[in-house]
Amino acid sequence: MRLGISYRMHFRYSEPVTESQNEVRVRPRDDEHQRVLSYQLTSRPVLNLLSVLDYWDTVVEHVGLRSSHTELELLAEAQVETAPRSTPSVAPDPSTLTEEDFRSAHLEYLVPSQHVGWASGDVVEQRAASAVAGAESVPKMVLAVVADVRAALLYRQDSTDIGVTLPELIDGGAGVCQDFAHLALGMLRSVGVPARYVSGYLFAADETALDADQGDLVSVQTHAWIEVAVPGWGWWALDPTNGGEAGERHVVIGCGRDYGDVPPVRGVFTGSGVAVVDAEVLISRQTGFAPAQPVSKPSAPLSVPTPVRTSDRQQQAAQQQ
Amino acid sequence: MADVSGDGFSGPGTGLLDEYDASRAYDEVFEPDGSVRSAYTRIVERFRDLGVTELRRLEKLVAEEFRRQGITFTVYSEEEGTERIWPMDLFPRLIAAAEWDELARGLSQRVAALNCFLADFYNGDGEALADGVVPRWLVVSSQGFERNAVGIRVPHNAHCNIAGIDVVRGADGRYRVLEDNLRNPSGISYVVENRAAMAKVCTWLFDDHAVQPAEQYAPMLRTTLESMAPDGRDSPHIVVLTPGIFNSAYFEHAFLARSMGVELVEGRDLVVDDHTVYSRTIEGLVRVDVIYRRIDDDFLDPVSFRPDSALGVPGLLGALRAGNVSVCNALGNGVVDDKAVYPYVGDLIRYYLGAEPIIDNVTTYMMWDPEQRAEALNRLDELVAKPVGESGGTGVLIGPHATEQELAAARSQIEAEPREWIVQELVQLSTLPAFADDRLESRHLDLRPFILTGETTEVFPGGLTRVAMRRGSLIVNSSKGGGSKDTWVLAHDSP
Repeated sequence: MRLGISYRMHFRYSEPVTESQNEVRVRPRDDEHQRVLSYQLTSRPVLNLLSVLDYWDTVVEHVGLRSSHTELELLAEAQVETAPRSTPSVAPDPSTLTEEDFRSAHLEYLVPSQHVGWASGDVVEQRAASAVAGAESVPKMVLAVVADVRAALLYRQDSTDIGVTLPELIDGGAGVCQDFAHLALGMLRSVGVPARYVSGYLFAADETALDADQGDLVSVQTHAWIEVAVPGWGWWALDPTNGGEAGERHVVIGCGRDYGDVPPVRGVFTGSGVAVVDAEVLISRQTGFAPAQPVSKPSAPLSVPTPVRTSDRQQQAAQQQ
Repeated sequence: MADVSGDGFSGPGTGLLDEYDASRAYDEVFEPDGSVRSAYTRIVERFRDLGVTELRRLEKLVAEEFRRQGITFTVYSEEEGTERIWPMDLFPRLIAAAEWDELARGLSQRVAALNCFLADFYNGDGEALADGVVPRWLVVSSQGFERNAVGIRVPHNAHCNIAGIDVVRGADGRYRVLEDNLRNPSGISYVVENRAAMAKVCTWLFDDHAVQPAEQYAPMLRTTLESMAPDGRDSPHIVVLTPGIFNSAYFEHAFLARSMGVELVEGRDLVVDDHTVYSRTIEGLVRVDVIYRRIDDDFLDPVSFRPDSALGVPGLLGALRAGNVSVCNALGNGVVDDKAVYPYVGDLIRYYLGAEPIIDNVTTYMMWDPEQRAEALNRLDELVAKPVGESGGTGVLIGPHATEQELAAARSQIEAEPREWIVQELVQLSTLPAFADDRLESRHLDLRPFILTGETTEVFPGGLTRVAMRRGSLIVNSSKGGGSKDTWVLAHDSP
């Protein structure tokens, strides 16, 4: 499927700021399931952007503006050719998860991380343990957890903040795509399935129902789903928000332990006042003619730049060796 | 005042060393038979001639000197830090020239191997991990592993430009490495100030000895930092980045900037424009090439690390990734300071340098190895347990000094989180006379030498000797009642 993606980020500050510094991760990656035909990130005002690969092999672009301003606009435009992804052709026994080499190779995706925290015996682990009870293969464990996440959470816009913990999520009973992904990661890791977070774009007007008619042009936000490591096979991509597998409509930006490793944008500014980021993703299927109006506009929480702090006695005292 | 060890040796003659007991451990000054080791012959003669009154007078002069210069250290209690005058004992520590040469070669070797490992890990193919020299899972799970450091170019592959390697001397008289400090080791300013005070107050002591100078540290450091400028830039602009005046080592940061003749800055004095770091000066913005930073990785840049950092420079990581500035020490050295990596340093030396370690580690048991754990927990009352993520003695359990309850608590903590602990044989640190209770008594000590690496590696002669000022104590940390000594490396051994 050939998709055109246009991601516009508009930073607005309530008071003029003298400096803003941001990291942006919005470029689709090249891999065996997708090919980037073109990509460009532009800014208004025009800036010299620095583009590098980070530890997770995600393209990160540094965007800094050091003159008085009240707004900053970034536009990422990409053309991507996607291919279907495959379903595991094997059904390894759950005991294969405990093999030393397999665990060691996937260690980062087996332990708690910043946004994926759980503790021995807590509600996350208990819920996961009962969900996978009786599952006779790793893929069945995974499907059982994804189904349980969908039973635990209702999809609801603006229901959570980025700092929400997994037990709080279960307690609140609602979330957006990041929350579905984080809860699934925590439950899977707690039962020994290596699982990682995927940030990307989803060509769907309704991210909770992939089989609905999606039209040819959608206005959305960045999306999040997961990949799990199946012993002897490889990474299997699933989308807990809608319960399906990730496929041609999913465009990957990058993977990490959780949202914190692949946030679309992260930054700070110098000045008083508050920052607002309006972000919109337009995705079009590039076959026939696109309709004039996009359908639907869900939104997921995005990190908003924070003011730079300038003094902290405790922090000063804490640095020593 | 009776000593528990019984067969104590008493120095001959009359005076301050009369009741000196050298039997507790390897004594730096006296042989087991009571004779004086050759390096110390003149020093012992001089101190035998001194009376209590004179030593007290000299001690006061030194304290007065430190007070006048504002040479203090901070003891953190509850919330507020308390400033104390820096404690220095007058009896110097001497290291014979040949002994020092061997030690310095060992320290260079160790830092070279650790730099190879850091370069391999952050900028190479991770060969040591692929070849199983260090288990991959151990490094990946380290709190000190800084993912943002991956791919940042480091001139000369010198990730650790300033290392402080803590060494101790055990009962067999051999030096061993106790701890590696490759992030922000402090203490060098006290080394230089100790020497300045000694030279001023006890000038006569130096008459009989050719002692390697201490004031060469600042030029050595400056040369090292200059060699770290990106793209070999000439006359690079260097700054020292401090967390601020509330940091316990602020005195040292100011001292180093002043003695190198470079700017001392806080995060807010620097700014990033177009992925280049500038310093705000009265002449306007001046490009910065090398930052000797004394703040932790996590606080360097609020964009990419802790967003609540009030100490860092927004955009600094971008400037590093662009290769426009060098930060010394490089990002991510904490992975080597993780004590779980320490037991593998000998193998890293063999792997990268194809040589046997010149200085060994203290015998260490890895708690993540079930057999070693079982053995160590069985003898925990004779051993020392250390949390892998701490430094400066925090959280350390000394088996022979611990109660049954403390031992039981440590055992269950280790069983619960074996990755977080190492257990070591207890080292009876070597002893040296120190002035206490109106005489010279034996006190335990360690040594933190400083190793500088840029285009080349140099070991500063000597280092910080810390001394436990309580009888029998093995705790040398100044925050816990430790003192210091001027450390003399002799230029040659024959008089």
